[in-house]
Amino acid sequence: MGVISVEQTDRLYWLGRYAERVYTTMKLYFRTYDTMIDAGEDYDRFCRALEIPNIYTSKEDFISRYSFDEEDVNSLMSNLKRAYDNAVVLREEIGTEALAYIQLAVYAMQRAEDSQAPLIEFQKVVDNLMAFNGICDDQILSENVRNLLKVGKRVERIDLYARLHESRENLEREICRLAGRIDRCSLKYHPESLDSLKSLIGQKELDYHRMIRQIEQIL
Amino acid sequence: MYGRDLYACEGAVNEQLARYGVKFGIYKNNTFKEQLFPFDVIPRVITKEEFQKLEAGLIQRVDALNLFLKDVYEEKKIIKDGIIPEDFVYASSGYLAQCEGLYPPGGVYSHISGIDLVKGKDGTWYILEDNLRVPSGASYPMIARELCRRCSPATYQKNCLEDNRNYAGLLRETMDAVSTGGISVILTPGRYNAAYFEHSYLAEQTGAKLVNGSELEVSGDCLYYEDYSGRKEKVGAVYRRISDEYLDPLNFNPESLIGIPHIFDVYRKGNVALLNAPGNGVADDKGIYYFVPKMIRYYLNQEPILHNAPTYLPFYEEDRKFVLEHFERLVLKDVAEAGGYGVVFADRMTAEEKEYFLALLEREPRRFIAQEVIDFEDLCIMENGEPVMRKADLRAFVLTGKETKVWKSGLTRFSRNPDSFIVNSSQGGGFKDTWVLSQ
Repeated sequence: MGVISVEQTDRLYWLGRYAERVYTTMKLYFRTYDTMIDAGEDYDRFCRALEIPNIYTSKEDFISRYSFDEEDVNSLMSNLKRAYDNAVVLREEIGTEALAYIQLAVYAMQRAEDSQAPLIEFQKVVDNLMAFNGICDDQILSENVRNLLKVGKRVERIDLYARLHESRENLEREICRLAGRIDRCSLKYHPESLDSLKSLIGQKELDYHRMIRQIEQIL
Repeated sequence: MYGRDLYACEGAVNEQLARYGVKFGIYKNNTFKEQLFPFDVIPRVITKEEFQKLEAGLIQRVDALNLFLKDVYEEKKIIKDGIIPEDFVYASSGYLAQCEGLYPPGGVYSHISGIDLVKGKDGTWYILEDNLRVPSGASYPMIARELCRRCSPATYQKNCLEDNRNYAGLLRETMDAVSTGGISVILTPGRYNAAYFEHSYLAEQTGAKLVNGSELEVSGDCLYYEDYSGRKEKVGAVYRRISDEYLDPLNFNPESLIGIPHIFDVYRKGNVALLNAPGNGVADDKGIYYFVPKMIRYYLNQEPILHNAPTYLPFYEEDRKFVLEHFERLVLKDVAEAGGYGVVFADRMTAEEKEYFLALLEREPRRFIAQEVIDFEDLCIMENGEPVMRKADLRAFVLTGKETKVWKSGLTRFSRNPDSFIVNSSQGGGFKDTWVLSQ
């Protein structure tokens, strides 16, 4: 299993990104959802934090569409489906066992839609995505394949952390992890963007907007 | 043999099949949908002795079909000797003039043959159809067996069965036997193909690369798989899961977007093996089916071990007369159709439909075959926890590389409709594992 085509390289990277997007935003969504149980209208702040358009008309509309609407490109469901779309064409690279965890996450998400307590099923989505990460680490023999998935995951996490104004410590850890991976896989990237991120994280005041620009330009 | 243990695990097995995405794709109202392939835990059981006969008959049949393909595209002795009328060969939509004089690597035409059989109520097996182009379905019983063993180990401890999980090994052996050197790939039309699960699962299990047309290219006289850095790896065998017409836009359908320009030229030069060979459609045409027993006698000088369903060709005056006289008891099949489509039971036609059909038969006799309706065996399936009987067939897989081997299992498909003989998954059918007893 030595060679990987450009298309597969791309799919592995985006599988890593979408799986991470669902994983991290869902954890954030847990907190927002909890606040909204007490009649808060926290979804506007949530949308602003993630820089997604607030197209929702009410708390109920947000919960329904942001969670499950496949037509809403920012929804959890549509991001999870994009992770699935990439995973399903990578069976021979990642293996049936790893693919199964993405499939199980989709089923949990579908069950959540019919549930009175969707957070319980969301927890299963998160569990399955964690299991997916674990099995990829454990069972994928090709270092390149593992690194492509992880680079996708790190890029997405830095992007989200910068948007969410996460702590310097968290961002620094992710940038270090990305730097340790990106040269070990077959992606072509812009080293100057990585250098810039390293430099930005060392500055006294964190410039989150510049960090977002740099991570967006890294490939 | 199998008992409560196995019945009790039906839910668990189906949950496992869902977990692993054992699905097939279907287009409804122009929308692609993935559906789980309904699985029934009660297996079809074939005894060792029964399978030995089937095995011998299937090897005989596939060997004869391979000899026929070689002959048709080379010397045409079977036509010259008057065994098969040339009309049936050259008018077949599966005949490809481009394959004339072409000798495939390893001399094999049909590497993976899917032969559909039914068992009559008298215990006789009948061949219904030969599929020599891109037969699908082996992956389903293969993964189902794996999962059933997990869910009901006691069942498998108690019974002595041939292990069917070696299919990937047989397939790999077949690809290696005809490879011209280099990597082996499975060429898929993409994830929106009905059998995409199978393509990806077989790639994983055989260790072959799963590729689409855009990932392969012809350079010089060879076929290459190109990686992200532009490094090329020679391809020696392509298990292609796309039909002839879409394989190469420069040699076949120019509108194909899923093929590889010039792949057929590389094949013609003997620099890549294509499994199955282009042009095989001439041998699995429903019209040619009628002649397979004659082929066995002609090429192998043997009596056919397995029988065709009694078949009539309206093309022949005598047969047409018989068809018209016994119309009500026959099933008519359009030779150009597949997947259970184009099959008409005469006794279910209205008077108007009958009149229309008879006129059509007069106009286009070559287009149809007529067969006696075989009252084939019903198998027990579980429906809402209750056992019910349904029609079922068997697709046997025969692989030809250095030699011809029959996979000791097969895809048993059943109709979920109590009034139907149509078992195809595209028409709502389900599947079972096929047990071949080892003792």
